[in-house]
Amino acid sequence: MEENKFEFVQFDEESSEHIAAPVYSYWKSVWRTFFKNKLAIAMLVVAIFVIIFSLIYPRFSGYDIAAREHVMDFSRRYISPNAEFWFGTDNIGDSLFDAVWAAAGSSLEIALIVTAINLTVGIIIGALWGYSKKFDVIMLEIYNIVANVPFILILMVLSYIIGQGRWQFIFAMTCTGWMGIAYFMRTQVMIIRDREYNLASRCLGTSTMTMIVKNILPFLISVIVTLVSRDVPGNIGYEVFMSYLELGLDVNTPSLGRLISSYQAFMNVYPYLFWIPVAVLATVTISLYLVGQFLADASDPKTHM
Amino acid sequence: MSNNQEREVLLSCRDLKVSFPKGKEKFYAVKGATFDIYKGETFAIVGESGSGKTTIGRAIIRINDSEGDVIFKGKKINGKLTKAEDREVIKSIQMIFQDPATSLNERANVDYIISEGLYNFHLYKDEEDRKKKVVDSLKSVGLLQEHASRYPHEFSGGQRQRIGIARAMVMEPELIIADEPISALDVSIRAQVLNLLKKLQEEKGLTYLFIAHDLSVVRFFSDRIAVIHLGEIVELASSEELFLNPLHPYTKSLLSAVPMPDPEVEKNKKLITYDGSCHDYSVDKPKWVEIKEGHFVRGNDAEIAMYKKQIENK
Repeated sequence: MEENKFEFVQFDEESSEHIAAPVYSYWKSVWRTFFKNKLAIAMLVVAIFVIIFSLIYPRFSGYDIAAREHVMDFSRRYISPNAEFWFGTDNIGDSLFDAVWAAAGSSLEIALIVTAINLTVGIIIGALWGYSKKFDVIMLEIYNIVANVPFILILMVLSYIIGQGRWQFIFAMTCTGWMGIAYFMRTQVMIIRDREYNLASRCLGTSTMTMIVKNILPFLISVIVTLVSRDVPGNIGYEVFMSYLELGLDVNTPSLGRLISSYQAFMNVYPYLFWIPVAVLATVTISLYLVGQFLADASDPKTHM
Repeated sequence: MSNNQEREVLLSCRDLKVSFPKGKEKFYAVKGATFDIYKGETFAIVGESGSGKTTIGRAIIRINDSEGDVIFKGKKINGKLTKAEDREVIKSIQMIFQDPATSLNERANVDYIISEGLYNFHLYKDEEDRKKKVVDSLKSVGLLQEHASRYPHEFSGGQRQRIGIARAMVMEPELIIADEPISALDVSIRAQVLNLLKKLQEEKGLTYLFIAHDLSVVRFFSDRIAVIHLGEIVELASSEELFLNPLHPYTKSLLSAVPMPDPEVEKNKKLITYDGSCHDYSVDKPKWVEIKEGHFVRGNDAEIAMYKKQIENK
């Protein structure tokens, strides 16, 4: 062994600090995880298709629920699904295809507005509720009172008082609907609130608002996405249920609940009239729910590794 | 340390009490702590778990409310402060936390974590100045510039603790409360972090309040040591004095528990067990007495007389 063939290796402190992994980006990792899942992509396509069809198609189809323009044309009634009328026609001669998408659009629109209002109010109040111990004492009492009254009862009483219609229904849904979300957020915030890095932020003089926005809410993205994915289909469900009981929307607002309720009489004679709206309802809610769930999974950083 | 009187007192605690609600009563975790921290020194508080050492640190940085006085640079800082005073105190006193795994915000990158204090008080001229401060502070703790865009979960425990140190240092504080900064770290990197703290102290003239339970580290690291037991400081002296002349039985038992890297010594070592009932405080109440210059001990008149004899016999 010749010693001159060996040389001392120097310990390089800087290279020991180097991180070889590529730079991590939260949202990029979310999308990468999401698009890895084939079912997620399929559901996203279905959901986008459903949303575009229900929100945009009715604007071009010229369908007007109040017009009843073909009511005198008896030859147009009860046509089974064919090339001209994809979903057939109903008891007053309107194309079911147009009616169903107009109804789905209006149901979806209402559900999205209600979810947006409930989530915004619920998250803001819930974050403060979980963060402030003084606010908690008051809010818990209010919550206990409201939570003990069934939500359906509140909905029914409110729609009897303020009447039926799109905005009345949205008001009834959001009047106390945010409370459940706020309570859920309160618990989540409390779990994170006392972690040590929040103490560190307080030692650095960070304000409460900054703490909520920078230290707490980023940890709850996946929880919030889960909430959205549960709430949109849930609110569609409430709207359908209330309209089915002829309490939610007025007669001149198209809605899946109204359609299903008015066509259920034909369940045996013209089954397509009943089952097509039900199938559309299922497609809308299931696809939105699944996309939300997959997105919630992907937004949990534990799945990014 | 004979010139204690001449040195500048940076922080002093007078009869500091911290209580937590226990049902309708109050539980005192710290029952009247009195000590001074001089500018530029490392003052250590040692004690067992639950003795209140962390609580003292948190009372000083005002996470916990406290009774008594905490006086920083001549001003009382516990209790109500004006906004400007509050700002000043936050900038001057910073903290390093025990567990680097939980003390960093996982959803923020290192750049934001280090800049957090700078953002809060707008301690930079422009964006460039802020970036420069972040990079300087990263380099001062031995990290690289490229780490600024990384997230905490990508770092090792030692690196994370150094990020925590950089976050405190960027505020250019005068007093740093280090709450067991190495307890959660691997033994192999403890020395690295301690040496870094020493280096930064020399460069910036910092004062440390070092909270620990590991006496062998404390002896190496600090100038003066306070021993705390069940919320009471029982003995306070310079490091060498405390190790040479421990007076309080609790200090003696703590010192006897320090492991020696010598099998012969370890085999023959007699452990001293501390039992609080060895004090009879029913009639003769204990006091906080300076028994020798710079050496304080808690005891009643009889015990003080005994401790004095011990010192003379040495």
